[in-house]
Amino acid sequence: MTAVNARGATTPPATAGATPPRSNMGKARARREGRAAFLFLLPDSLGLLIFVFIPMLMSIALGFFRLDGFGNLSFIGVANYVRMVHDPQFLQSAGVTAVYLVILVPAVFVVALLLALLVQQRIPFVGAIRTALFAPYVVSLVVVGLMWQFLLADKVGVVNQFLSHVGITGISWLGDPKYTLGTVVVISIWFQMGYYMIIFLSGLQDIPAELYEAARIDGAGAWQRFANITWPLLRPTSLFVLITVTIAVITGGFDLIYILTGGGPAGSTSLLIFYIYQQAFLFGEYGYAAAIGSVLVLVLLIWSAFLFRATKGGRVDDE
Amino acid sequence: MAELTPGGQVTRRGFLLGSAAVAATATAFTLSGCSTKGSAAGRPLQFWQFYAPQTQTAPDLKAQNDWFQKAVGDWNAAHRQKVENVFIPNFTDPSNTRLATAFASGDGPDIFLISPGDFLRYYNGGALLDLAPYMTKEAIADFNPDILATRQVGNGVYGLPMEVEPLAMFYSKPAWEKAHLSEGDIPKTWDEMLDVAKKLTTPSRSGLVFETVPGYFQNFTWYPWMWQGRGDVVDAHQNPSFDSKAVTQALDLFGRSVRTGVAPRTDPAAGDLPGAFAQGYAAMWQSGIWQVAGFRGSQPKFEYGVFPLPTPPGGIPRTVLGGWAWCVNARGRNPEAAARFVVETVGSMSEASVQRIVDWCSVAKSDMPPRKSVDARMKAKGAFDDPTLKYFHDTILPTGRGEPRYPPVVYKAISNAIQQVQTAGGDAAAQARTGNDAIEAFMQTYKGGTLL
Repeated sequence: MTAVNARGATTPPATAGATPPRSNMGKARARREGRAAFLFLLPDSLGLLIFVFIPMLMSIALGFFRLDGFGNLSFIGVANYVRMVHDPQFLQSAGVTAVYLVILVPAVFVVALLLALLVQQRIPFVGAIRTALFAPYVVSLVVVGLMWQFLLADKVGVVNQFLSHVGITGISWLGDPKYTLGTVVVISIWFQMGYYMIIFLSGLQDIPAELYEAARIDGAGAWQRFANITWPLLRPTSLFVLITVTIAVITGGFDLIYILTGGGPAGSTSLLIFYIYQQAFLFGEYGYAAAIGSVLVLVLLIWSAFLFRATKGGRVDDE
Repeated sequence: MAELTPGGQVTRRGFLLGSAAVAATATAFTLSGCSTKGSAAGRPLQFWQFYAPQTQTAPDLKAQNDWFQKAVGDWNAAHRQKVENVFIPNFTDPSNTRLATAFASGDGPDIFLISPGDFLRYYNGGALLDLAPYMTKEAIADFNPDILATRQVGNGVYGLPMEVEPLAMFYSKPAWEKAHLSEGDIPKTWDEMLDVAKKLTTPSRSGLVFETVPGYFQNFTWYPWMWQGRGDVVDAHQNPSFDSKAVTQALDLFGRSVRTGVAPRTDPAAGDLPGAFAQGYAAMWQSGIWQVAGFRGSQPKFEYGVFPLPTPPGGIPRTVLGGWAWCVNARGRNPEAAARFVVETVGSMSEASVQRIVDWCSVAKSDMPPRKSVDARMKAKGAFDDPTLKYFHDTILPTGRGEPRYPPVVYKAISNAIQQVQTAGGDAAAQARTGNDAIEAFMQTYKGGTLL
């Protein structure tokens, strides 16, 4: 015989000793599911704990020590942080990173958004155009660096050969501090724009077409549709792009700099991430490098918090 | 073992248990891979270098590989504690982090090669074993004192040089002919060098190439220009002497060469000298004796010449002598056996040891010898009959000084000064002062091996 519960669903007969009561079964199932969730999360959590959180804590702690790379460790308090303030190379690298950040983040954002708006249109060969724009991102940054080094070679590089036909000669794109950071920025935009274009494109495709149709019927122009529909509804995507581009700009870029300029000429492309690498692995100043890394993480956290606050966490329903 | 349902399917419980087991095993393997220290006991001593074992078929690379393999093979045939060659790609690039990270994790190799540029970092870190107790006085005296000095601290010998690599100026004979220049135009002074470079410069060719990439190597190439004016980074009492006329004029030489457009801001042909000469991208280039082998390997028919580095007014002929040295990790697994291996292989007066260096400098490579006995034997066997090598040996080598050794902060101060003047148009005197200030601040608290 089956019993009918309050919702009208049937339950098996409650045979004492053979089948546990409903509430016990629910608890057991919840326990099993909890255990399953725990087991599924365990590998990733362990990985994060061992390879991210523990090294992060150790790195923060290391910032208060002098460690020379041969196991000689001594506690020096905040000396590494004080050293930063008086280290002209650190200050120069911080300045270069700030300029790089201020130019590159908005540039990648704008270029990627414009490209996404372009390839969203129904234009011939749009698939091929999207692929072509995304293609640089799938190439290794080392290959990108070597390829541009070849194209931008002094005197005989393709770019300079082309420019010589229009009367522009003698520019050293990778050897003159006036041009190097700009050159690296342009190459970085070229490399990254395809990826963020795809992110924006997915955001654009999530916006209901009915909104645009209604706006058109109401007589809204292209700019009005962008300003009142696209821009606000893209806010979650924009927040994601801004944060990830910022992180990519601050913590990435090493490969490109390493291959293209080696931080030169005259330190003009010595980003902080490159300076950290130099201090740790070239000079054996692991404590100092860890301290700079901690400062960089702090800057990133502050910037991310600011972005979250400024964009209200990317929510679109607050206006 | 995963649980199966009567139908042979894996149950959820079984799947979860299996997944957990796989994850645990993978984690254990991953973590065990983080350290090799415990499991390394009883293994052969590791010799990290950039020559062997490798399978390259280029004649010079094969000869170098064979030499290293034979040297280790000879030792292994006669000793219980074996040694193993470990090939580290890109080892010569100072930005290669493998050696540094190995030491940082307490797992450095037992035997390894380093250049003087890195010496103080390893010595001050306590990573180098003194080899003097394993050597005879006769063997120590057999080394060229200038070459050994940068590997010595007090009476200790912390590295044994296997070769000497002087710098000189290489020039492309076809480029000179096109510019209507002859051997009589070979410059002897800096001004003459810049004048000749101007005549050799074309829209596609750089008349003169100085190293442009910031780093240990650029500093290495710049030192002789400073020494020619009797300048130095620190004086005999270890006081900074970077703010001097000699330093200023040497910095300005690099700056002038770029300002006048005769030298490039980036290395032509990505630094491949024989390739750049053959393709007409460069006409004169400051580089080392290793380019002799480079031309032989990649441009055997190309006609090039060599001349000593020109000097400033009132200056003295000077070049720098590079080269790699064998070192022993003081914290390795069997430092004593490692030291005996190094000394017996390249630092004893035995017939085999002397002949081994003769073979290295004249068969496997085309280098100058670091030892007097080796020099005599190379002369006797006609190793310097080749006109270019004879020129290096008789004319350039006697003007040489061993590559200096400076701690990273000093190296960086010098590098910054060179870069600022060479590529950013900085004032040479001001940069010499800035560099001097940085070196002075560092030396006030520096404790470690003498700067040479």
